[in-house]
Amino acid sequence: MSADSAIATHALTKRYRNVLAVDALDLDVRRGEIYGFLGRNGAGKTTTIRMLLGLIRPGGGEVEVLGSRVQPGATGPFARVGCLVETATAYPNLTVRENLDIQRRLTRAPRAAVAEVIELMRLGGLAERPARVLSLGNKQRLSLARALLHRPELLILDEPANALDPAGIVEIRELLQALVSEHGVTVFMSSHILTEIAHLVDRIGIMHEGRLIEELDRDQLRAKERLYVDVGVSEPARAVALLAAAGFAHVEHADGRLRVYDALERVPEVARALVGAGLDITELTQAHEDLEAHFLRLTGGAP
Amino acid sequence: MTFARVLATEFLKLRRSKVTWVTLAALSLGPLAIALMMWIVREPGRAAQLGLLGTKANLSGLTATWPAYFSMLTMMVGIGGMLLMSFIVAYVFGREYVEGTAKNLLALPVGRHWFVLAKLVVAAVWWALLVVAVLVESFALGATLGLPGFSTTLAVTAVHDALLAAAIAYLLVPIVAWIAMLGRGYLPPLGFALAMLALGDVFSKTGWAAWFPWSIVPLYIGAIGQPVTTIASGSIVVLALTFVAGIAATIAQLRWADNAQ
Repeated sequence: MSADSAIATHALTKRYRNVLAVDALDLDVRRGEIYGFLGRNGAGKTTTIRMLLGLIRPGGGEVEVLGSRVQPGATGPFARVGCLVETATAYPNLTVRENLDIQRRLTRAPRAAVAEVIELMRLGGLAERPARVLSLGNKQRLSLARALLHRPELLILDEPANALDPAGIVEIRELLQALVSEHGVTVFMSSHILTEIAHLVDRIGIMHEGRLIEELDRDQLRAKERLYVDVGVSEPARAVALLAAAGFAHVEHADGRLRVYDALERVPEVARALVGAGLDITELTQAHEDLEAHFLRLTGGAP
Repeated sequence: MTFARVLATEFLKLRRSKVTWVTLAALSLGPLAIALMMWIVREPGRAAQLGLLGTKANLSGLTATWPAYFSMLTMMVGIGGMLLMSFIVAYVFGREYVEGTAKNLLALPVGRHWFVLAKLVVAAVWWALLVVAVLVESFALGATLGLPGFSTTLAVTAVHDALLAAAIAYLLVPIVAWIAMLGRGYLPPLGFALAMLALGDVFSKTGWAAWFPWSIVPLYIGAIGQPVTTIASGSIVVLALTFVAGIAATIAQLRWADNAQ
């Protein structure tokens, strides 16, 4: 675990009876970066985040946050950590301002911090309203405000864009970028939607069935955006066999369409192989595989 | 000053909470019901219009006097208090799980034991205010009824007994708080409290009443046989152990158990 690490885990493991939720996870999140922690539902993201925050006890391994070992029940480094875990929650009978005031008192933040964070999260018009009447999106803003209130060095955010509208997502993205670039804050954020965080993060780690199966930096992410030939064709199953016989090694069939990889220089050959066998081509275009497709491929989802 | 800060936030959490008023309303109904029974006993003719209620009140052998009124009041504070106190603690502790805020509290730079202690203080203050309000209400109702047999000594004894019953009821609640943490909600602690009250009734019939925590209040206030004038030292030890064990279990639960919501 280097001194440069904001979060470091070594062989972190958590088992719930017969389910291995997190399996020997080694993470190293550097100070000042935005790390996207990606995985499908049930991949082990939230369990990992709970262990980072000392909410649940690891079955094995170690967690270090901002240089302090995290142990359940100990206050550890949490004066310097802001967090949002899973769903946004607040005391429903208290106003937005009162909810934030509780956080202020417990983190020993200055009085002015409440007003500042209300303005930052654009909650001014809602400050005196009870939390129970807030929309899901505004509850999420309140939770983010709570996480930011004491100006933490590290933000651990579990699905921070949940329930936010597109404008809200852009706003949060800009806010996080500003926090990193202007204040050197480290952001560790989970998501199950790669495209949502791909353009924000410095690195991503992809979790699947409790294991970190891939880590990519920004350049590697871009390199994953592959080009392919998208083919609409009659009898797609037969077309796959024909293309394979013609020497196209990487052909996929989904939803009645074909994806022919490594074939951008051989488009006429693709057409000849199919038309020559009597198949009808309805469409043949160059297409772009997005990061989401890569993520889904890795984690066993469609396409 | 960590405790003071945590305590202040725990009191702040009660702001605009309807549950505080619900508990006041629930406990206030007790003296009203007792006063109504006193009135029925004293005015059987006028109460006859109430039908069975008047008959039952007469059959119970009650007398409409201050001693009888205070005796029933102490029973209400003792038995009703054990249940209401459990309700208060279930709310104060269980709401963090029901409202999903426990995860926010537990990732703060504040020792978790402070939350347990602050919540117990809040419950104690809440309970004390309720008992005081009910005692004031009871005196006002008794005076309005014009019950005979009042004396300062009797009033002081009644207040002492009610406060002691309330205090004993409070000693039982840390265990209920632990169940609220363990069960992460309201129903498990309330179910536990009801089960313990029922068990207390069973123990009272076996001669073990002085040794089972939930039988000690009924024993003291006279719900089981005649009221005892002093609490046995064994009972005091049992109550103290129950109180300390409950606090220790609640702190341990919050500190070391998994807190996944």
